[in-house]
Amino acid sequence: MTERAPTDWRTDAMRRRIARRYAAERRFRALGLGAILLSAGFLAFLIVTMIAQGASGFTETRLALPIDFARATLAVTPEQLRGQRADLALAGAGLEGVVDSAAGATFGASGGAALLSDGAWLRVRDAIKADPSLLRRKATLDVPVASDIDMAYKGAGGATAEQTVAVLRGSLSRGLNIGFFDGADSTDPTRVGIWGALKGSLLTMAVTLILAFPIGVLSALYLEEYAPRNRWTDLIEVSINNLAAVPSIIFGLLGLAVFLGTLGLPRSAPIVGGLTLALMTMPVIVIAGRNAIKAVPPSIRDAALGIGASPVQVVFHHVLPLALPGILTGTIIGMARALGETAPLLMIGMRAFIAAPPAGLGDPATVLPVQIFLWSDEVQRGFVEKTSAAIIVLLVFLLAMNGLAIYLRNRFETRW
Amino acid sequence: MTLGVLFLVVVALGLIAWFVARARAAVFRSGSVGRFSALPAHHGWYVALWTILPPLVFLTIWWFVSPALVTDAVLATPAAAALPPPGFARAAILSEARYLSRGDAFGAFHNLSEVLAPAYATAQRRYDWIATGLAALLAFAGFAFAIIRVRPNFAARTKVERIVMLALLAASLIAILTTVGIVASLLFESARFFAIVPITDFLFGTHWSPQVIDARDPGASLGAVPLFWGTFFIGAVIAMIVAIPFGLMSAIYLTQYAKASTRRWMKPLLEILAGVPTVVYGYFAALTVAPAVRDFAVAIGITWASSESALAAGLVMGVMIIPFVSSMADDSLAAVPSSMRDGSLAMGATPSETIRRVLVPAALPGIVGGVLLAVSRAIGETMIVVMAASGVAALTLNPFASTTTVTKQIVDLLTGEAEFNSAKTLAAFALGLTLFVVTLLLNIVALVVVKRYREAYD
Repeated sequence: MTERAPTDWRTDAMRRRIARRYAAERRFRALGLGAILLSAGFLAFLIVTMIAQGASGFTETRLALPIDFARATLAVTPEQLRGQRADLALAGAGLEGVVDSAAGATFGASGGAALLSDGAWLRVRDAIKADPSLLRRKATLDVPVASDIDMAYKGAGGATAEQTVAVLRGSLSRGLNIGFFDGADSTDPTRVGIWGALKGSLLTMAVTLILAFPIGVLSALYLEEYAPRNRWTDLIEVSINNLAAVPSIIFGLLGLAVFLGTLGLPRSAPIVGGLTLALMTMPVIVIAGRNAIKAVPPSIRDAALGIGASPVQVVFHHVLPLALPGILTGTIIGMARALGETAPLLMIGMRAFIAAPPAGLGDPATVLPVQIFLWSDEVQRGFVEKTSAAIIVLLVFLLAMNGLAIYLRNRFETRW
Repeated sequence: MTLGVLFLVVVALGLIAWFVARARAAVFRSGSVGRFSALPAHHGWYVALWTILPPLVFLTIWWFVSPALVTDAVLATPAAAALPPPGFARAAILSEARYLSRGDAFGAFHNLSEVLAPAYATAQRRYDWIATGLAALLAFAGFAFAIIRVRPNFAARTKVERIVMLALLAASLIAILTTVGIVASLLFESARFFAIVPITDFLFGTHWSPQVIDARDPGASLGAVPLFWGTFFIGAVIAMIVAIPFGLMSAIYLTQYAKASTRRWMKPLLEILAGVPTVVYGYFAALTVAPAVRDFAVAIGITWASSESALAAGLVMGVMIIPFVSSMADDSLAAVPSSMRDGSLAMGATPSETIRRVLVPAALPGIVGGVLLAVSRAIGETMIVVMAASGVAALTLNPFASTTTVTKQIVDLLTGEAEFNSAKTLAAFALGLTLFVVTLLLNIVALVVVKRYREAYD
């Protein structure tokens, strides 16, 4: 081996070389930072876009509409509005016609009624129910306007609607759209609400949780604590790991073929959605549960066995309580994924138009992500802001769930 | 009684049984000082389980079976003779009669359903009583069988624990059952499809137009090659061009450069990206990204650019996959022994040289495994392509042209108005089977690659 002279770090060539290497280092580091900032930027862009488009979906435009109830020929008297029969009495009273003719009288006979939302008379009905004395006098009520006027007032409407808004400006006002929180699907974008879909989601999630959590925890316990190492347990393990990676739409096909086709359960019902999502969520819970159980130190098991506890007592009195926070974290993440899932639910028919919130597990229902999907297909302009608003609600739920999972993980992370 | 109430009643009976048995066991313990095989609570559990489980098993089976029994009973009545032959109309009348009998419907469209409703109510009532009687009988039989066993020397704990172990085993078998269910249902429906359409036409045909199927040669319009290509192009090419560099560089920055405090909030941020529902990505892709991509294409001189381009769907899908690639790369980078990193740094290499020449090559099998899993996830992803890709099946290399994917076609085929037995509907199951097999193979290969790599350093 030949002796080599020590490197002279001061030559120009060496300095250039070092400078080049350091520059490469800085570039690489900046590239890494750039990648992560761009990813975060995309997330921020997505959220900002949704908020910018959806925030106006939580408000509605109202028109001050004078109605002379005393002169209108309503087939109802204030006395009929006491107690249970009020809805029925008002439903048959021809209120819709009275509202339309009041709009025609005030804003022009030709286009006055078209200014109002299909649901405007419902607002008048509620006002009368709250104060029956209205029926004897003249009153000015704020009622929701039609979708194109609503959009124009929010600054995104067509030319004719803009002109109408300019004429009406004095009598238009803006308010919180309560109907968006307690209504269900509708064909009129000013009348749609998310409560129907949200209730469907909650019912579906309840079924998923009731099925997936116990089954997931029990199989995690079996595989981690008792299962003998043989071909059968290997088979169980492989199928669980594989199920966790199966595309969600395949679970939809399973639900369609087995739950609807073979067992004949009702279409688009929360019970079928819950069953399908439970099969999808269970592997997630099993994998998280096994990791949490594995983290419990063997010394605790040995100590319990040493003082005479049976294997079942060891697990249920000692291991499970210690592993529970970890299992819960995994469960919340699995449930969050199930809450945002759309594709398998489309397969089992949850894309139907359903205008009433489901009353039970067997009723036709839709869920929040599917509702978003359905609204995104609507061509009317008003649905864009409603879709984004529903997305905001869904994201708030998911962020809350993920935040809870992260908090639980940090709070209960134990090192033995 | 309805099934829900029956379930509650059975559970309440179990609770009573638990207290009764425990009290009985406590009595014989109180006087004596001998050794016992079980605590009073174990006797309680033993009796309670024997009281609850038989009726619960029965009710679960009943829940699946009874609607068919009730319908059969209704069909046996004379009024049912006027029903139309099996088909949509018959099912509609029957379900309307069922709703009427429960009092859930406001009125009936068919006169016949009003006639059948009382028959439904009668049959339902009769079967409800049978269910109640049988459940009660089973509960009391189980209780009687168990309670006479509550004696001082009876090892109730062992028996209870055996039931618990059986429950644990049963729970873990559900995974196998689900897998079997998936494979069986896909295979069964696909077999019916391949009885109509030759498998070679499906796998190698290049023309896909399920809207118009020629009855004489259904295979001619059901060639899935354009779908396979579109899926591969969007999921494995365009999405990965976005996801691999971004995911890998994010992982490198987070593991090698970022301060612990930065890492603590950067990582959850990426996890949020993974937690955004795909329907939101799909809406974003269709509403914001797709028009932008088309405008860009028009700006660079492509006049026929589609607003449902492969590029828009692929880009957004790539962003969705970033956190996934990043966390896989993160894990495999962290698994490289730190002595290798320290050795390289001690030789005078800069951190970036160490990462490029030592860490990434050492972690490569893990990263490749992660990328394969990411591809598997991308080609199985549904909502983004349903909302942002088109339904036109085309063999194209142009990212601005419109393409379609397997998952998009499954949704399109199954959400139409078609009959359940048509070639069109069954084709969805054949596509599902293909998707299942391909993702399964990708997952297996990925796991093998990762496993082999792990063995090298442990």
